[in-house]
Amino acid sequence: MASADALERRSRVPVWRLDVPGTYRAHERVIIGGGTLIGVLLAWELVARIGLMDPMFISAPTLIARAGYTLLAEGELWPDFQVSATEFLFGYALAAVVGIPLGLATGRYPRLSFVFGPFVDTLNAVPRLTLMPLIVIWFGIGIWSKIVVVFLGAVLPVVIAAQSGVKTNEARFIRVARSFGASELKIFSSIILPGTVPFIFTGLKYGAGRALLGVVVGELYAATAGIGHMIGMAGNTLQTDALFFGVLMFTAAGLVTVWVLNLCERRFETWRPKVGAAA
Amino acid sequence: MSAEAMGRHDAQSAKPPVGVAWRLKRLYLDHERAILGTVVVILFLTFWEGLERGWWTDMLRPLTVGAAERWTVKPIFISSPTRIAAAANRMFFVTGEIWPHLRWSALEYAAGLALAIGVGIPLGLGAGWYRRFAYAAEPFLAALNATPQVAFLPLIIVWVGTGVAAKILIIFLLAVLPIAISAQSAVRTTDARLVTLARSCNAGQWQLFRSVILPSAIPYLLAGLRLAIGRAMIGIVVGEIYGSALGVGAMINQAGSRFQTDRVFVGVLTIVAAGMVLSEVVRRIERRVEPWRAALS
Repeated sequence: MASADALERRSRVPVWRLDVPGTYRAHERVIIGGGTLIGVLLAWELVARIGLMDPMFISAPTLIARAGYTLLAEGELWPDFQVSATEFLFGYALAAVVGIPLGLATGRYPRLSFVFGPFVDTLNAVPRLTLMPLIVIWFGIGIWSKIVVVFLGAVLPVVIAAQSGVKTNEARFIRVARSFGASELKIFSSIILPGTVPFIFTGLKYGAGRALLGVVVGELYAATAGIGHMIGMAGNTLQTDALFFGVLMFTAAGLVTVWVLNLCERRFETWRPKVGAAA
Repeated sequence: MSAEAMGRHDAQSAKPPVGVAWRLKRLYLDHERAILGTVVVILFLTFWEGLERGWWTDMLRPLTVGAAERWTVKPIFISSPTRIAAAANRMFFVTGEIWPHLRWSALEYAAGLALAIGVGIPLGLGAGWYRRFAYAAEPFLAALNATPQVAFLPLIIVWVGTGVAAKILIIFLLAVLPIAISAQSAVRTTDARLVTLARSCNAGQWQLFRSVILPSAIPYLLAGLRLAIGRAMIGIVVGEIYGSALGVGAMINQAGSRFQTDRVFVGVLTIVAAGMVLSEVVRRIERRVEPWRAALS
């Protein structure tokens, strides 16, 4: 009894022993990942500083940070950012607003899918970015051509995901609801929609990457403003620091988008039907 | 007795309503998908053709008096199915001007994809097999995955110019990630029991890799390859935006800036056809490999 007490007391006393292997093992992933990242950045900086390679071509982490600071502090980047963000958000929102209802409808009504199927399949086979020259002819080099290309890039994954989501709905649930006299609207709101939401998020996530791609290509191709345009200009004038910073902004945009969508998805995770679990 | 029963059954099944209308309806319902799809596509093409030739404005003229003229869409904007067909015929069979473009793009595509496979598969297999290597590569792969890779295009041009190397590199960048990621998950999903079994039979690393991991990874690798084919197609068009004289993407760009819409459509359709052929090839390979996987699991 006493010895157990002592043991407990002893284990409660904080031991300031440095458990190096234990700490390492617990955080191996972060340590190795972070270490490699820092190592590469240091090597990059060193190569540029020593003059092994011309900083004009490869830039350097500190140069990029400085360029980023200047661009942000002088507010030079703000208009470009606003244009790119508008194109992305507008085109993406349009894709969601058009794509989700279209996917739900074509999934629910086979006849509609027979009508829209050929167009969706054809458009899905086309790398939509090849349509860029046409879109510029139709919508000019302003913001609208980018919104259209973002929309075209993002809408198809959303449509296809929503459609296949509806199709995988449990037929049993729908039959049960029918036999209890549920209206079409009720079936839709309490069976089809909840079961489809996870699929829609998959489509939205996939579409977000496509949308970002559309912003970059659209602005590189023909634009008067935007981060992509800024990157292109920086490349033409050999300002590799600014160029790298622009690319980093796209990386950040991609990470933030996926993060936001993951948050939303987790919010709806409980809606995911557990097919077969009840059987 | 059984023959008799069958005969009765036949007679019964032949009895139901046999009117022409019923047969037509039956025919329609059996092939509803094909019929509806074809009709809609034909309607769409007719509408398109009519828009360009002014059929609809002619039709509406009595109603709208003079205002209809404004609704005519100039051919340079939308082209038309027949114009596109004529342009395709000219470019493929009369002047044959598209072949050098096609050959050049195919060369870039093959080189870029080969580089992506050559780098992506070992990288992915390594990251799947060696945990520490995966940890080291993770930040870079994640960052590259989150970035729209085409944003590197201006940088690539600063480094290697606008020549063929730039296209190969951008195709590589677009295609390498799906390949590497699928290779990594392929190794991770290898049946652990098989690995344990091979180990206890004293198999060496190489033997283990060749006879357990690689065979079970092949289907995943092919799935990754199919994704990569589509991504690399984007690379052709995007890579040739900047100062290319040859290539299907360059042809599309030049035609676009000269408002030769029919040629743009021919280029786009050529790329679509190439993509379809390539993914069909991969699907054939997948089907051949499929029994291999079944035998293993």
